[in-house]
Amino acid sequence: MEVDAVSQQTQEKVEQTLSADLIVGIVADIKEDATGGLFDSLRALPGSPRIAVLKNARPADSAAPKPPTGEKDPLLSVIPWPQQEVAAVGEPVRSISSAYQSAFAVSQKLGARACCVITSTLEAPAWDWICQLVRPLIEDDFDLVAAYYARRKFEGLLNSSIIYPVTRCLYGKRIHNPLGPDLGVSVKLFQRLLDSNGNSRAGASSMHLLSSIAPIALCGNFKVAQVHLPARSYAPIDWMNISSFVVQALGPIFLDMERYAACWQKTRGSLPIHEFEQPIPISQEEKAELDVGRMVESFRLANRDLREIWGVVLPPATQFELGKLSRLAPDQFCMPDELWARIIYDFALAHRLQTINRDHLLKSMTPLYLAWVASYARELETAGAANVEQRFERLSLAYEASKPYLISRWRWPDRFNP
Amino acid sequence: MWIQVKQALDQSTMKFLTGTARLLPGIVALIVALVISIFLAWILAFLVRRILAGFHFDEKLRVWGFSAIAEWSPMESPTHLISRTVACLVIVTGLLIGVSAIDAESTSLLVRNVFDYIPNVLGALLVMLVGAVVARYLARSVLIGAVNMNFQYSRLLSAGVKWLVIVLAVAMALEHLKIGPGIVELAFGILFGGIVLALALAVGLNSRELVSKSLERDTNKTQTETFEEPFRHL
Repeated sequence: MEVDAVSQQTQEKVEQTLSADLIVGIVADIKEDATGGLFDSLRALPGSPRIAVLKNARPADSAAPKPPTGEKDPLLSVIPWPQQEVAAVGEPVRSISSAYQSAFAVSQKLGARACCVITSTLEAPAWDWICQLVRPLIEDDFDLVAAYYARRKFEGLLNSSIIYPVTRCLYGKRIHNPLGPDLGVSVKLFQRLLDSNGNSRAGASSMHLLSSIAPIALCGNFKVAQVHLPARSYAPIDWMNISSFVVQALGPIFLDMERYAACWQKTRGSLPIHEFEQPIPISQEEKAELDVGRMVESFRLANRDLREIWGVVLPPATQFELGKLSRLAPDQFCMPDELWARIIYDFALAHRLQTINRDHLLKSMTPLYLAWVASYARELETAGAANVEQRFERLSLAYEASKPYLISRWRWPDRFNP
Repeated sequence: MWIQVKQALDQSTMKFLTGTARLLPGIVALIVALVISIFLAWILAFLVRRILAGFHFDEKLRVWGFSAIAEWSPMESPTHLISRTVACLVIVTGLLIGVSAIDAESTSLLVRNVFDYIPNVLGALLVMLVGAVVARYLARSVLIGAVNMNFQYSRLLSAGVKWLVIVLAVAMALEHLKIGPGIVELAFGILFGGIVLALALAVGLNSRELVSKSLERDTNKTQTETFEEPFRHL
């Protein structure tokens, strides 16, 4: 698998680099003149580990980037790392997953103790991100260090509304960004990931790697921590592609639910995990122009035309609630948290039972997600940062309260259909 | 005169009775073949049903993505569909054996023709099955895609795509069965063209407003290039 995952150019450079303690994979583009700051920051890590930096190299770049220092650095080597651009309009989850797979393969080859992959856009003050993610791996023997980004009100909504609460509720640990995309992983964990990924089907493996990191770490009792980091910068989103994001992000998560059912069915409630650094306050956000009407309209249209599909996924009580919701005016539009949590659980169950084609199933969920976004946006239009945290805590508790419903439906899908 | 009539009547009666007597073993053989085939069909259908049920065939078929077959099956069970198909095949084979026993010379040609036609029937059935599955898949894809694009006539589009594929499959199946190939070709052309025209008219006439709004939106977007949605999902 290693040979497939790593390109020829990277392979050659890896052969030259005999070993390293730490691998840092940087998917995002960095300007050549800015690499000095990054390398200085890495050299300042405690214990002076030997570091190999996998730096994103565009196919056009023929020459491999070199460390800014004139002479060869024994502690830091740079390996060119051809990656596809992590574009928001393309297939971000898939391309980030393949970057992780490649970074883990190189780490295994060089016998590294830890690996850290950074996919967020890096700016000068953000050099410390990498060190902050790496330090708990090196100093405190943590196996997984996730980023806990400062939360802007209307950003990372798919994570806040589905991915985080589902992971928290299922596996019982409050890991705020289980899909990263910036994560630090110990040798123990990436070995386990590579092993379990090698056992899964070749076509699906690159897709599942990113989503499998948190479940494997949490179910395998690995030491998990998160580091408070500033808000991420995001590429603009193509509205027409939301359904493909939903498919990419939720498909592997639902598959993992199937894979680790024995683990999550034993878990009740949730516990906080170890946190490093202090929460970073978000400066007052500019008042954005919200177009909730369009999302509500999309939901209404789907409630009219997708009944045939939703009818085989959702129980009658939920369909009745959605019918009532579709008759509300946009300024009164409000989706209860319990309803939203049950909808997600029903879709996860339908995904497991393959009631309909999985791609169709997840794409048909998009209008429901937009309905939740509309409800959330209307509720928090004028709210401050503290209210946002409280709002998501309430949502997560609703997921936890509905977990018995999920377990009942999961165990007896034919008999338990309220 | 009366004696001649009586002789003719006796001869014809004799002829009829002799013919009937000659046919009788064949008819009895037909009935026996039919009874045996019905009995065999019942046993085979029972066995196939038991084997497929033990194999959880219905659930497996759904998992493999052929849930559409269930809707076309008796009692919504593909197991029943297969067991009944097997039974029908056995009964038809028994019937053909019985028919060939009546008059070997005249019926053997019929039996040969029927057997020659079986591959065409199987081919047509396969084409219809694949057509139905593809039609359903494409109809759902179009429906979901159109709804996600906020298209008001999603169901119309989806139904249009579904019937286009079904009409195409039926035309191909009839072509395979060699039933009026010329008429089928012509009818298919007219029907297919008609559906496409109807869809084009329906979409075109009803979406004038949509297109003008879309163009207007694009113009406004270029005027305010800095406009960005406030929501970020991933």
